[in-house]
Amino acid sequence: MGYGRSDSYRVATTQDKDDRSPKKKKGAKDMDDLKKEVPITEHKMSIEEVCRKYQTDIVQGLTNAKAAEYLIRDGPNALTPPPTTPEWVKFCRQLFGGFSVLLWTGAILCFLAYAIQAATEDDPAGDNLYLGIVLTAVVVITGCFSYFQEAKSSKIMESFKNMVPQQALVIREGEKVQINAEEVVGGDLVEVKGGDRIPADIRVVSAHGCKVDNSSLTGESEPQSRSPDCTHDNPLETRNIAFFSTNCVEGTARGIVICTGDNTVMGRIATLTSGLETGKTPIAKEIEHFIHIITGVAVFLGLTFFILAIVLGYSWLEAVIFLIGIIVANVPEGLLATVTVCLTLTAKRMAKKNCLVKNLEAVETLGSTSTICSDKTGTLTQNRMTVAHMWFDNQIHEADTTEDQSGASFDKSSITWISLARVAALCNRAQFKAGQDQLPILKRDVAGDASESALLKCIELSCGSVRAMRDRNKKVAEIPFNSTNKYQLSVHETEDLNDNRYLLVMKGAPERVLECCSTILVQGKEQPLDEELKEAFQNAYMELGGLGERVLGFCHVLLPEDQYPKGFAFDTDDVNFQTKDLCFVGLMSMIDPPRAAVPDAVGKCRSAGIKVIMVTGDHPITAKAIAKGVGIISEGNETVEDIAARLNIPVSQVNPRDAKACVCHGTDLKDLSQDQMDDILRNHTEIVFARTSPQQKLIIVEGCQRLGAIVAVTGDGVNDSPALKKADIGVAMGISGSDVSKQAADMILLDDNFASIVTGVEEGRLIFDNLKKSIAYTLTSNIPEITPFLLFIIVNIPLPLGTITILCIDLGTDMVPAISLAYEAAESDIMKRQPRNPFRDKLVNERLISIAYGQIGMIQALGGFFAYFVILAENGFLPTTLVGIRLNWDDRSCNDLEDTYGQQWTYEQRKIVEFTCHTAFFVSIVVVQWADVIICKTRRNSVFQQGMRNKILIFGLFEETALAAFLSYCPGMDVALRMYPLKPSWWFCAFPYSFLIFVYDEVRKLLIRRNPGGWVERETYY
Amino acid sequence: MQANKDSDGGWRTFVWNSEKKEFLGRTGSSWLKIFLFYVIFYGCLAGIFIGTIQALLLTLSNYKPTYQDRVAPPGLSHTPRSEKSEIAFSLSDASSYKKYTDAMTKFLKKYDDDKQTDQMKFEDCGGKCQLMPERFLKCRDTVSSTPWLIVKLNRIVNFSEGGRPPMNNSVEEFLLPKLKPNLIPIFCKNKREEDADKIGEIKFFGLGEGFPLQYYPYYGKLLHPQYLQPLVAIQFNNLTLNEELRIECKVFGENIGYSEKDRYQGRFDVKFNIAS
Repeated sequence: MGYGRSDSYRVATTQDKDDRSPKKKKGAKDMDDLKKEVPITEHKMSIEEVCRKYQTDIVQGLTNAKAAEYLIRDGPNALTPPPTTPEWVKFCRQLFGGFSVLLWTGAILCFLAYAIQAATEDDPAGDNLYLGIVLTAVVVITGCFSYFQEAKSSKIMESFKNMVPQQALVIREGEKVQINAEEVVGGDLVEVKGGDRIPADIRVVSAHGCKVDNSSLTGESEPQSRSPDCTHDNPLETRNIAFFSTNCVEGTARGIVICTGDNTVMGRIATLTSGLETGKTPIAKEIEHFIHIITGVAVFLGLTFFILAIVLGYSWLEAVIFLIGIIVANVPEGLLATVTVCLTLTAKRMAKKNCLVKNLEAVETLGSTSTICSDKTGTLTQNRMTVAHMWFDNQIHEADTTEDQSGASFDKSSITWISLARVAALCNRAQFKAGQDQLPILKRDVAGDASESALLKCIELSCGSVRAMRDRNKKVAEIPFNSTNKYQLSVHETEDLNDNRYLLVMKGAPERVLECCSTILVQGKEQPLDEELKEAFQNAYMELGGLGERVLGFCHVLLPEDQYPKGFAFDTDDVNFQTKDLCFVGLMSMIDPPRAAVPDAVGKCRSAGIKVIMVTGDHPITAKAIAKGVGIISEGNETVEDIAARLNIPVSQVNPRDAKACVCHGTDLKDLSQDQMDDILRNHTEIVFARTSPQQKLIIVEGCQRLGAIVAVTGDGVNDSPALKKADIGVAMGISGSDVSKQAADMILLDDNFASIVTGVEEGRLIFDNLKKSIAYTLTSNIPEITPFLLFIIVNIPLPLGTITILCIDLGTDMVPAISLAYEAAESDIMKRQPRNPFRDKLVNERLISIAYGQIGMIQALGGFFAYFVILAENGFLPTTLVGIRLNWDDRSCNDLEDTYGQQWTYEQRKIVEFTCHTAFFVSIVVVQWADVIICKTRRNSVFQQGMRNKILIFGLFEETALAAFLSYCPGMDVALRMYPLKPSWWFCAFPYSFLIFVYDEVRKLLIRRNPGGWVERETYY
Repeated sequence: MQANKDSDGGWRTFVWNSEKKEFLGRTGSSWLKIFLFYVIFYGCLAGIFIGTIQALLLTLSNYKPTYQDRVAPPGLSHTPRSEKSEIAFSLSDASSYKKYTDAMTKFLKKYDDDKQTDQMKFEDCGGKCQLMPERFLKCRDTVSSTPWLIVKLNRIVNFSEGGRPPMNNSVEEFLLPKLKPNLIPIFCKNKREEDADKIGEIKFFGLGEGFPLQYYPYYGKLLHPQYLQPLVAIQFNNLTLNEELRIECKVFGENIGYSEKDRYQGRFDVKFNIAS
């Protein structure tokens, strides 16, 4: 048997070595390899075989020479840090990613147009050059801004890094030496004790009460005991392997290192994680879609007017300049900055609520999320065993498991309870660490086993100081827990000084404890343990076990004084005292309870249309119990197994469609095809995946994404990190989370509170809505900016609006109002609606363009043109005279241009009027944008319903007005920006149009509200 | 992958989806509805716009623009126009100055005798009006040897151009001999000091070497449809050839102002570059 196994292993290793050489070329294949389960086989080998394989000695350890040789061959025992993107690459990504592309294209086109002009004209207008420079500046400045913004978050990230170098105790050439964990090599004999971090993957060769905390790797809350025996085929579940970077909680163990560094289970997960490609964030996709639309509109307009210009008899070069001009005019210069600032504001707001966003774009992702795959341990639960239930007096009592002890309590007056508490307190080796008296009991650190700590805290909470109780009942003898006895026992003096009897207390696996008992304590009275009571015990045990709780039985007996007089020498090795005919006291069961805020948060996610899936490495029963506890499996929903049990039919006869809930075991998952997997994900609303490996978590996330869901993954362990990375948004825990998971995540909950996710969803949805509004607002002013140029070309009027004034709008007056829309409150309860469908609900759709460009923008343009015509008419150029005047108007040598009244104008004189028109057009756009920002506040509600509570927006209104007045009236602006002071009456030209916009949109929104789903909504609700 | 497939076949179905009878994602009736909506919408907008423009026109006077602060003080313009304020031609090459002579001929057409027969419209002009084109025609003929400029003060409604001629003490000495009552004097000189002896004699023709005040004010197109403003012709008799010469001409009057930025306001300068 043993030989055959080791042989098969050799085959495996040679394959492994073959694989390694083309590793880099076949990156994809390598990733697939990593996604498979762990290939460790050492747990099935005998210790001798392992020693042979690593040429080590079970007593002496490696020789120093061998160790040095292995160190050179395998490299240091450390995880290769994930390839960090160099800073300049990050910077360039900010500079050239997403929206910036549009602006860069615009800038390049501007320079191109300027180059054409410079080559063909003697005295080219500088407009295109300036515009190009400004566009470049905008991109660079915004790029720097978001780069520094993200650099700030990553600095917080770095503070998480644990810099303390790990030490390891190895035996080499027969001597124990303390070395740096990095120098540990395969074959080393290492010793670990409680509190140590395991330095590498080790095959345990001997252990004494050793327990390891695997929660970050497997998700099991309870520490797992380690022993030299192989207990399971799966290396992750067998007892004789301890894993790199997990913690030894108690006991000692000695083992042979079988894997180091990146080859360890943890290392493979880390490599898998850093190798995963992540897709674009939903908002990045939306911005891409937006760019497509804008480019489409720009090119369409540009080409239309290019052809028109050719038809009108312009030269090819002029037409090309027009083409470029129109395309560039469509670029919303300010939008990049607006979007960046809006996202930053939200990120800041979320950081205040303890959600740290690493990647700015991830801010919105939670809002689009339609599925949350949550890890159980540490995320949904407290990762701390707590006494949940007790069974005594033939009754199940519920203990308070909330973090703040706000839950209900039980009757503590029963004598049985006092006895039970005494047993639990005495037969318990856990104790509080010193110096924590001022801390609440639940927050104190405990030295000892998780379930014993749970008991300790429970007793301390309900009965007062356990230490005092132990002092009163001095321990005389003790048999610690071991896996053969499955119980723990101790003998104490009694509290009563006159009573010289000894008290024997025992706790352990309930069935073993019950075997030792002949009586049972009911209402403080000992009763013989008859069949009826045994059945009651069995039922209670089953029930508590069914809740996924870990059940312990307790019993005691007062040893008769005549047999065990004071000073009796109890021998615990060769038991010389009574361990039978004890008196059963009760059961206590423990669970890692859900965090208090979780059920509420899960409920909110539900009502927000988000499917919450639990994906855990823990056992199905526990997982299901927690899932029910937090509402992931809601009350009344049954799994296939539940239905089968209720109807008393085999599971295979149940129609899986009848069951809304589903608990899926990791081993089943392994055999599922992709279609079956999709089927499960599609047909069950409430799913729990238990016993899943990190790789399977990844597969589950991929499955959800394949179905079109936007997936958020929450988790804290290393085992979650591949899934965290693959998810559209990975959310890691800031306090309990492992470094690897934090590295892989996009968002970190600094307070570990799952409820913060709800905040994230809310903020994400809000910012998506508000970005829509912001974009609608910003895009609208594009039309009054483009139309002047179009009419300039087509009907040859003097240019109504110049490049500089356009920039003043886009980068000046429009900025604050656009940003202020990010502060807009939600119109309705955004947590009550379904998550947006990424295929249908776009950030920018044709309806938004239709409203912004086709309707509101057109009214705005008219407002601007009206101001333009007013100024020219009042200066002597009536509209009829203007048409076709352009060539003479722009002719420098013509200094006697006649107006409608017969007056003659020099070039400079009429240019001043023209620039005054630009200023007036600009001011008019500001005036109509007042109305625009007010109508953009809401998409469905009336402004009167929404109110004007957005203070930033009100500030924005005043700010843009003040800025416009400043630009117009500040002395020196005529030279600097060619803007001239306006006569007061010209400010009012656009007022009727501003009013028209407001009324038009209010009517539109009224129609939308009146006829839900009607034509108006279908065509104009963006 | 799925999305890819969708978008590949998607384009064609997007343009024309025969299943749903959709063109560019809309059915015929949907297109019609949205088209109708926009027709009506833009129709209304056009109506509103025309309405506001009409309202604007109601506020305007037919005789005088609302604001004249930008057009006054008047500009001083000349014919032929200069390209980048330069007049350059070669005496030996007739085609090089043809555009200048053509421009002058065209400009002076308005002043032809036959168009000035209606004495009623030139009450202030007396017989002198007819004098002008005659004299000016000469400049057209002699352009080959001596360059001419015809200068006019820009028209401004109800603006009594020079107002009054400048006071004796307020002008530079060279102007004193030209000062006459009711005449806005014009004077040209070299712009750069070093050109002083290169520009030679400059002769002024017209109604007394300036703009007689009796031609002002101008009452606008409606009241003064046939109005012709007085002109002054300037003859540069002896410009040094083959050299760039800058000459500045200026009118003087109480209402006349000059501006740093506007080089045609009350003055102009022109660069001559005449090759032999």
